[in-house]
Amino acid sequence: MRRPLGGLTPWLVQRLSAVFMLAFIGFVLANFLVDPPASYEAWRAWMGNPGVSVAALLSFAALLMHAWVGLRDVTLDYVKPLAARVAVLALIATALLGAGAWVFRILWLVRA
Amino acid sequence: MKFSIYRFNPEQAVKPYMQDFEQPIGDEDHMLLDVILRIKAQDNTLTIRKSCREGVCGSDAININGRNGLACITRVRDLKEPVVLRPLPSFPVIRDLVVDMTRFYAQYTSVKPWLINDEPPPEKERLQSPEERDRLDGLYECILCGCCTSQCPSSWWNPERFVGPAGLLQADRFIADSRDRATRERLDDLNDVYRLFRCRSIMNCTEVCPKGLAPSRAIESIRLTLLKEAL
Repeated sequence: MRRPLGGLTPWLVQRLSAVFMLAFIGFVLANFLVDPPASYEAWRAWMGNPGVSVAALLSFAALLMHAWVGLRDVTLDYVKPLAARVAVLALIATALLGAGAWVFRILWLVRA
Repeated sequence: MKFSIYRFNPEQAVKPYMQDFEQPIGDEDHMLLDVILRIKAQDNTLTIRKSCREGVCGSDAININGRNGLACITRVRDLKEPVVLRPLPSFPVIRDLVVDMTRFYAQYTSVKPWLINDEPPPEKERLQSPEERDRLDGLYECILCGCCTSQCPSSWWNPERFVGPAGLLQADRFIADSRDRATRERLDDLNDVYRLFRCRSIMNCTEVCPKGLAPSRAIESIRLTLLKEAL
């Protein structure tokens, strides 16, 4: 049976995104410890590396999906009237999509 | 020993209040229920549910110093004074320490806690291997006292829609049963943002279960079974 709010899928998304973010944070921290960028230009060059920027983009996508599932769950628990719930969810979705677009823009500018 | 007990009588237009009792504890006193019954002997308006008085029936589940448990198997001398006794949190109070379990039983019934198998029964019985039988350990022992569900924040927020730890433990008991033929229907019924996935692994259920069961592990097992089915 198809359910609009899903069951297993959002739960799985939250867990997989957490694993991906953890791996990326570990990678960035390890890089800072082993070979810290000496200057802003070096940091920019490192971030501009296609592998790193794609991984960063995926990691931020994971963060946004993770946050969506979490905030959606909080909304389902505390905001019961349907109209208020739809409004809150729309607000959260707009904020997260906006943040996503902003991250994309930053990574795009670094690449250039 | 000092006791502070929640009192509420719907027939009297008085707000619920805490009443203090002083009760001497002797060497012969073991369990909290014995002392509660002695207090009741002095004030027979005090109301509590109890039956087997040995941790088998689950009737005397109450909140003891903030933690749910069975009065009959809680050692009174281990408790910190004053001993604060309240009815199970989040359940509607009928009177004093007695709560209405209707919603709890409705959630329990909703998981169809019985064996579903339309195949013609064999002459004697449906056999299980010892390994298949072992999978039911830690699931079938639940006495439905309500300690877990009453202490679960997810059940507090969504008591009508979240099955709750006790019901989900029972659901897993039948999902794990090799003789049951409705596994897919059971999983499909639970694959829902409310019925199963309101659980946030807070694990109060496992923490307070007076029978030492682990509803949180049963819930994890249902999620993993769902995942395996999906893949």
